[in-house]
Amino acid sequence: MINERFIRISNNIWEIPIDFKDGMRVPARILSSPRLIDGIDSKVIDQITNVACLPGIRRYALCMPDGHMGYGFPIGGVAAFSISDGVISPGGIGFDINCGMRLMRTNLTLGELKPKMEELLNRLFRTIPSGVGSKGFLTLDRKNFSRIMEEGAEWCRRNGYASDTDIERIEDHGRLPHADHTTVSEKAVSRGINQMGTLGSGNHYLEVEIARPENIYDREIARRFGIDRDNQVLIAIHCGSRGFGHQIATDYLKIFARSVQKYGLEVRDKELMSAPIESDEGKRYASAMACAANAAFVNRQLIVSGIRQVFREVFRKSDSELGIETIYDVAHNIAKFEKYTIDGREETVLVHRKGATRSFGPGKAEIPEIYRPVGQPVIVGGSMETGSALLCGTSMADNETFGSSLHGAGRTMSRMKAKKTIRGDKVKQRMTERGILVKTAYMPGLAEEASFAYKDIDLVVDAVDALQISKKVARFNPILNIKG
Amino acid sequence: MPYTFSDKYSTADAGIIVTGKTVEELFSDAALGMTEIIVASENLEVRKKLTVELEADSMEDLFFDWLSEVIYLKDAENFLLKNCVMEINEGDRINLRASLSGDEIDPERHTLKIDVKAVTLYRLKIEQINDHWQGEAVFDL
Repeated sequence: MINERFIRISNNIWEIPIDFKDGMRVPARILSSPRLIDGIDSKVIDQITNVACLPGIRRYALCMPDGHMGYGFPIGGVAAFSISDGVISPGGIGFDINCGMRLMRTNLTLGELKPKMEELLNRLFRTIPSGVGSKGFLTLDRKNFSRIMEEGAEWCRRNGYASDTDIERIEDHGRLPHADHTTVSEKAVSRGINQMGTLGSGNHYLEVEIARPENIYDREIARRFGIDRDNQVLIAIHCGSRGFGHQIATDYLKIFARSVQKYGLEVRDKELMSAPIESDEGKRYASAMACAANAAFVNRQLIVSGIRQVFREVFRKSDSELGIETIYDVAHNIAKFEKYTIDGREETVLVHRKGATRSFGPGKAEIPEIYRPVGQPVIVGGSMETGSALLCGTSMADNETFGSSLHGAGRTMSRMKAKKTIRGDKVKQRMTERGILVKTAYMPGLAEEASFAYKDIDLVVDAVDALQISKKVARFNPILNIKG
Repeated sequence: MPYTFSDKYSTADAGIIVTGKTVEELFSDAALGMTEIIVASENLEVRKKLTVELEADSMEDLFFDWLSEVIYLKDAENFLLKNCVMEINEGDRINLRASLSGDEIDPERHTLKIDVKAVTLYRLKIEQINDHWQGEAVFDL
C-alpha cells in the first residue's frame, strides 16, 4: 500500500514523513521491495506510525520486508528508545518473548538420511513434545526454574544438556544478564515450569533440512558456519518461551496500563502500553522479559538435547561422528540494550525487535569469534513447505537498522481462510509427493501453515540482501517436519 | 451459537464475537468459544472442577482477566473448560465468582488444535446494547 506522501529513499526504502500523523516524533521506514510493497497492509502503516509516536524513539520506526500486522508493533517492527526518556513496551516484543530460531549442522548427508527418514521422523515426534498441553521431560522444582530464568543456557551446560560450543553460539550466550526471578509472577512460573523442552503449537516447528549445493550462495561464509559438504543434513527449530513468556507479557500489559496513566504517556493503541525504561515498572518488566528470554534459550537447548539423543539412537553413531553442532540461535521477539552511533554520538538504546532478528556485521564483539570476520548468522524461518534461509549480518544493518533484519517469510493469509482453501491431509500429500515427510498432532493445522499462507521467502530474503542489511548465504530445503 | 469466530483482525490469529442475554452468559460463552479454538469441545468430559474468583475496576478489565485465567488454567492445571456457572456483582469494584467444570488435557481422548497464548487488548470490548450484552476479543495464537 503505497501512499503518495511516502518518500522513496531508495529502491527498497519508503519513508513515511513525520507530518504523516499527529504525534510522530520520528519518520517511519518501510523496508521492502518493488514486488512486495503493494502487499503491505494499511494496518502495518498505522501500527508503525503509532510506534513512531512513542516517547524517546530514536531515528526511525522500522518495518522489515516480512512485516505484517501484529499487536502494537507490526510483526517485523524495530524501534530503539533512549534510556533517559524512552519507553519499554510488551507490544514491541510480543507475547512469545524470545520466540526464535536455532539452526544445527550435522556431518550427515541426504544419502545417509534417506533410509532412516521415517524412523527418524517418528522418533523425533515421540521424543520432542509438541502441540497443546505438551509437557517437557524435566521435572523442575522452583529453585531450578529460578536458576533457569537467571542463568539461561548456562544452566543447561551445568546440567549436561549443552556443550561449550552450543553456549558460544547462542545470541548473548543464551543469557540476558539483567534477569531477576523476583519480577516474575507465580502464575507465570506455574504456566512455564512443566513446559521446558517443548515446541508448542501454531507456527512452531522442528525441521530437518538439506543444504543442496545449488542453494549455497556464498561458499566461504557457509563453510565458516559449518556447512561444508554437498546435501548436508541440517536441523532447524522454531519456538519460544511457551506459557511462561506469554504470562509475563499478559501480567505486564496490565501493569503498564496503569503506568501509562501514572507517567502521563500517550499511546495510540492499547497494545502499545508502555512504561519509562528507567521507571520501577519498566525495570521490572525488562528483568522479567530477560527471565522469559533466558527460559526460551533453555527451551530450545533442551529440544536440541533430545534431538541429539534421537540421532544417536537412529544412526547408532556418537556425538562426534554425527557432528551435530549449533550454527547459531537467534531471538526474534526481544528488547536489548545495545550501543549505536546516533547523530555522531555513541548512545546506549533499548532496541525492540518484534519479528525481527539481530543482524550484527563483521567485527562486533558480541558475536562468536569464529563468525567475527563475516558477521553473525541470521536464521530466517520459512513455511514448512519451503524451508529456511541462512544469511549473515552486515555493517549496513549496524548503521541503518539498529543491527536488525527480517525473521521469516511473513504471513499473508488467515488461518481460517487457509483451512477453507485446502485440507490438511492434502497439504501432507502434496509435501509427501515432493519428498517432505511431515507429522503433526493436529492435521487441519497443516493447512494453516501451507506455503500459500506466507510471503515468498525468496522475495523477502532478496529484499534484505538488496538493502544490504543481511547477506544471503544459503537456502535449505525441508525433508522432515514436525509441526507443533 | 452464541459466538462467532472472525479472522478479519490479523492473519496469524483469531477473534471472537459473543453475545449474551446477561453479562455472565457472555463471559461464559466467550470462554467456551476460546476453548473451542484450542480443542474440539465435543470430546470433553467433566473430570475436574475448579473455582475462580476475580475482581477488577471495569467490566472490560474483568473480561480480559477472566479469559486470561482460563488460558492460565489450561497450562498450569491442564484444564479445559466444558461448563461454567458464574455470578458477577458490581460494587466498589466488579467481582466474579465462577464454578468451572471440565477435563484434563489428554491427547489420546481430545482433538487438540492450536494453543491460545494470550488475550490481546486489540479490539477488546464489552458493552450492553438494549437488552443484551456484546463482546469482542482477539487472541494471540
